Amino acid sequence: MKKILLVSASVALVFSLPVYAAGNVEAGKAKSSACMACHGPDGVSSVSSFPKLAGQNRDYLYHSLKAYKSGKRKNPIMAGQVQTLTDADMQDLALYYAKQKGLYLKY
Amino acid sequence: MMKLTTMTLCVSVLISLALPAQAAGDPVMGKTKTSMCAGCHGIPGWRTAYPSVYSVPKLGGQHADYLVAALKAYQSGERSHPSMDGIVGSLSEQDIDDLAAYYASSYSGPVK
Repeated sequence: MKKILLVSASVALVFSLPVYAAGNVEAGKAKSSACMACHGPDGVSSVSSFPKLAGQNRDYLYHSLKAYKSGKRKNPIMAGQVQTLTDADMQDLALYYAKQKGLYLKY
Repeated sequence: MMKLTTMTLCVSVLISLALPAQAAGDPVMGKTKTSMCAGCHGIPGWRTAYPSVYSVPKLGGQHADYLVAALKAYQSGERSHPSMDGIVGSLSEQDIDDLAAYYASSYSGPVK
């Protein structure tokens, strides 16, 4: 009986934990070749009209990609780029760029 | 002679086109205008509350030109977020340039 309780408690704990976006850094890097032309190698763009992505918050990047895909956020270049991206692609890319060195929190 | 003048003119135009367009902002002035930004963008781990929850973007080290474009896109309504829509209404073009220059620069405020 105690065992059952313990198992139930463990299962309940797992389900109560916040759901973190999955994502794979290596997969993200592999998928980033199309982004590089504008956002630069590892997300540090050299052209000032294209935002740096390196070090940006993962969930912000993921949210932005989804907003481009849904059409809520509008940009002619990004609208085309995101069309072929799956949800997993967006999570991988977001994680990969978040892990690079670049942007920082500034008060 | 005419040829030389024309050539010089063409070269000058080409050079000016090749230079990156720098926003004419002042980072020191920008620092004095961040009071409305810092409450979200200056706090580690801060998240938006509505309509969906995600971390607010980091601004430090971002390109000034991109930041100017983003703020102007909020002003024009091309880009939209409840908090940002409200804040950009009070910003002048100079405020936007200064803020962008501040966040893009390595200047972090007067030495205390």
